[in-house]
This record gives sequence, structure tokens and C-alpha cells, in this order.
Amino acid sequence: MPVISLFAWMLVIVSLAFIACMFEDLESDIGSQSNPNSQIQLAPEMGYIHRYFNKAISGEGLSYALACTISGTIALVLLLRLEPTSGPKAALLAIPVGAAAGSILYMIRASVCHVGREAGQKRFEQPIYLDVLYGHLVPIATHNFIVVICITTIAYIQSNLALLSGMEASAASVSNPFPLPLLCLIWGITVGAIGSSTGDIHYGAERAFQDKPFGEGRRVVYHGQICRYGDCGVRTSKDVVAFCAKFGGPATGLTFGLIVLFENWRTVIGMMLGGLSETELVNPDIAAGYGIGIGIAVGIVLIVLNTWLVKWTRKKYGPFVGE
Amino acid sequence: MGKEEKKPKEKPTLSFDYFNETRLGVLALVVGVIIAIVPFSASLPAVVKGIGAMVVILWGADSVRKTAGHGLGTGVPSIGVLAVGFGLVGATTGMAIGSAAYDKVGPIGILGVLAGVALMAVVGYVTGVLANSDKFIGMKIPGLERGMAELAMAGTLAIILECSIVAGTWHLDDVIVSDNSISPVAFIAVIFIMVGFGMLQPLNSSMGADERRGRTLLMAIEIGGINCVILGVVTVMSLGVVQGALLIMLGAIVWVIFYRAYVKACLEESYEVVGTGLIKTLGG
Repeated sequence: MPVISLFAWMLVIVSLAFIACMFEDLESDIGSQSNPNSQIQLAPEMGYIHRYFNKAISGEGLSYALACTISGTIALVLLLRLEPTSGPKAALLAIPVGAAAGSILYMIRASVCHVGREAGQKRFEQPIYLDVLYGHLVPIATHNFIVVICITTIAYIQSNLALLSGMEASAASVSNPFPLPLLCLIWGITVGAIGSSTGDIHYGAERAFQDKPFGEGRRVVYHGQICRYGDCGVRTSKDVVAFCAKFGGPATGLTFGLIVLFENWRTVIGMMLGGLSETELVNPDIAAGYGIGIGIAVGIVLIVLNTWLVKWTRKKYGPFVGE
Repeated sequence: MGKEEKKPKEKPTLSFDYFNETRLGVLALVVGVIIAIVPFSASLPAVVKGIGAMVVILWGADSVRKTAGHGLGTGVPSIGVLAVGFGLVGATTGMAIGSAAYDKVGPIGILGVLAGVALMAVVGYVTGVLANSDKFIGMKIPGLERGMAELAMAGTLAIILECSIVAGTWHLDDVIVSDNSISPVAFIAVIFIMVGFGMLQPLNSSMGADERRGRTLLMAIEIGGINCVILGVVTVMSLGVVQGALLIMLGAIVWVIFYRAYVKACLEESYEVVGTGLIKTLGG
């Protein structure tokens, strides 16, 4: 039974990862962070005054590492204080309070970078629209809160997996040895990186530059030519979210969810084949070997599927410009 | 009260003009080194180390501005993280050498921590030379060698000071193993990310054709304030309520003053601040 509950916790982590990365992508669209940000930044220089939110905290990976690490730190401090008296229940208070601290800090960072960047474009006559500034901060904080609370929960589950699945005797091989803030840092960088690599393409290609030819990167002559008008009136970053929530966000969440699923699944299967029981892991070498083997097999299958997909797409919609 | 808070805004703007890049670097290096080599027996309160960390982070942000200000648009966060990366290596080296020397030869061995700073200055300079030289990467960024050396030293000092805030001293016995329920090194992640943001975000968020040094550096101090608040919460756990509460208060005051100053400076120096409005339709 405890070994089965390991699988159950793995699926909890996967679903949390799915939600986290979906909201991460949507949050990064409120304010055009990461890749599309360079075009938003260039637009006024090219004469395209806009009403987008210019959120240049840094790349998504680092800014999410910041929010998640602060959350993990505050949560760990609270856990250390409360766990001796109230036991594992302390997590019910520590994780949300930590996540709130992380997302408030994130909102503060977002507020300074919008005014900072717009003030740096004085000579291109880009004004600061106060409604754009105020109107975006709360959506940024709320979307960020969902991400941070999911990531902190994942880190908490990982570092207390033995306790949660009733396998305290083999805690050394089941629970993650890293402290909570460090796990949050690693997961924060990961969720930001996946959100940036998968989600930006959708946002950039379909919302910011709608006239992009198939398969082409953004030509230098068109730099800064972003799509500034919405379905009705002038577009702000908030309007992009409703659009990206239909496909881009869930697709990004699926990417991250699948990565976490495959990664944990191969580890747990490997540990089962290595003779994991309630009390001990009989053969760690076999566990590691099977884990690596399954991982390589999954990688090969994914490479083959992706190659086939790219070939099919080029044939159907191509050719690429310059081919 | 509102009038009085205006004054500090004027002060830093003026003082940054006096503290040009060289003077600020020398000041921060001196302050950082002095705070780092104070004997363990007369261990400084966390507040003083917090101020030291702020000054060093300010220096780091200035070095990032110097290094990345030449058109390295997306490279700004990378340069900041590079500084903290240098810092982690240098701080570990310095703290290890310093702790070993302290155990061997007594209090004078504390100076051993400076070996880490000196090592990273050399490593940073060599990195700059390799990146700039025609024979290797050939990036040809003006002042990269000096910028890299300064970044590495600032990162190292910042990490040493912050480890020392959380653990009481930077002696490895305190940093890695502790009498408290958790080792202070568990918080290395938050030290890493806060120092990194203090150095990389000011330029990254103020970038643009009309970026101004005085305004950009205000944000470095503001992040230094947030850094003190977060470390204060950790310090309440590790060193006790008095040290932690003082650090939180210092951080909160600094943050309020400099956040106001930065946002005000931006609003004043922007092209125009409007409540709402449509865009000018240039080019259709």
C-alpha cells in the first residue's frame, strides 16, 4: 500500500505541475515577459507607441526562481517554528503564507520595472499610462500566487514524501535530500524556463506579430512592429491572456506536466524494480539502472515523434522561408 | 512626514554624482572588507552587516550597468547571475581558507577570507580578458575586464556577508553545521537569488535610451532593503528575535524610502504621465 501511495503522490505532483505551468504562461503574457518583451521594448523606438505592460523583471526562469524561493524560505521558517508543536498540520498555514509573500514581492518587482522601462523611453514619446500600470498588477499577483503555491506544495511533498506515503523507514531513499528553498529555486527556474520556451511562441506568433510568415523568425526590418490593436480598441496585455488561455496556456502546462510525469514515473518504476518496500530499498543500483534505462527509452520515443511531427508539418504547411 | 521623506530622495541622487564608478567601487570594497574581517569574538550585529551587504550589492549593480550597458540587452540577467556564480565560488573558497586559518593561527587568520576575494578578482579579470581578446571570443566590450573583476569581487563579498548575517559569523562551522534545528546553508538559495536580483534587476528594469545612473542605482538600494527584510525573517529563526527584528526594520525603512524615490523619479522623468488614453497612431 505505501508503494502505491508513492504513485498517488507522484500524480498529485504532476497535476500541480500542470496547473503551475499553465498559470505561469498566462502570467508571463500579462506584461509580455521574456522573449516578446524585446519587441515590446523596441516598439516605441520604431514609432509604435503602445499600451502593453513592459514587465522586464528578468527572464521568466529567474523571476520565477525569485518568487518561489522567497515562498519556500518563508514557508520553511514557519514550518521550523510550528512543526514542533502542531506537527505536519503546520504546512496548511506555512505554504499559503509563503506563497503570498512570494507573489507580493513579485508584484512589487513588476511595478518598478514597468515605470522604469517606460521612463527610459522618454525621447520616443512613450507615455506612462497609469491605468495600464495599476490594472495589471493584481492579475500579475494572482496568477503568480497560483504558480507559487503549486510549486511550494510540490517542493514540500518531495521533501516529505516518506512521511506522506507512510514509508518513514526508507526515508533516505524516498524523500528528497535538498532543503525546501533550494527545491523551490530549482522548480522555479524549471517552470519559468518551460513557460518561456513553450508559451512565448504561441503568444509571440499569434498575438504580438500576427503577420509572421510560416516558419520564419522575426526579420530585423519588422522589429518592434507589434500588433497594437485588439478585437475592439487598443490592446493591453490583459487582453492577451483571455486568448492564450484557450490554447497556449494549457499546452505549456501539458509540456511541463509531461516532463514531471516522465521524470518521476521512471524513478518510481525503477525503485519498484529495485525492490522498494516499506522498510528499505533492497538494491539501489538496479533501481538507478532501470530508472536511467526507462528515461532513455522515453527520450528516444519523444525524439522520433517530434521528428515525425516536424516533417509532417513542413510538408503540410511549408516550405519554410529560405528553404 | 511626507515632506521629510523627500529629502533622502535628493541625497542619493546627489551622492551618486560624487560617487562615480571608481569611488563607489573603492567605498564598497573597503566597507565590505572591513565588515568581513571583523573578529568573530566581537561579532557585529546583523544590521551592520545588512548595511554592508546593501553597499556591496549597489557596487555589483553599478558593475553590471558598466558591463552590460553596451548593448547586451538580453544579457543583463546573465551578467548578474554570473556575478553571483563567481560569488558562490569565491565565498566558499574564502570562507574555507579563512576558517582553516582561524583554527590554525587564531584571530589573525580571519584575513584568510580575503583570499577568496582576491582569487575571484583574478578569475574575473581573466574571464574578461578571454571574452574580449581577439584570440579567443573577441567580444570587444569596452571595460569588460575591469567590470568582470569588480563583479566577481562584489558577488563574493555579498555572499560572505549574507552567510554571515544568517549564521552569525562566516566560519564554516557556523554556516554548515549549527546548534539550531536547521543548518543556515539551507538558506543559500534565497541568498543566491536576492543578491542576484540586487545586481541584475536595476539595469534590466531601467534599460532604455534615457536610462540614468542615479535612477538605476536607487533600485539597487531598494532591493537591498527587501533583501534585509527577507534575511531578517530568517535571522529571527537562526539568531533570535532582537537581531532579526532590527534587520527587518532597517530593511523596511530603506525599502519604503527608495521605492518611493525610484517610482517618483521615473514618473517625473518620463515623457508624460497620463491616467488613461489612446495611442498615437504613427504609421497606421
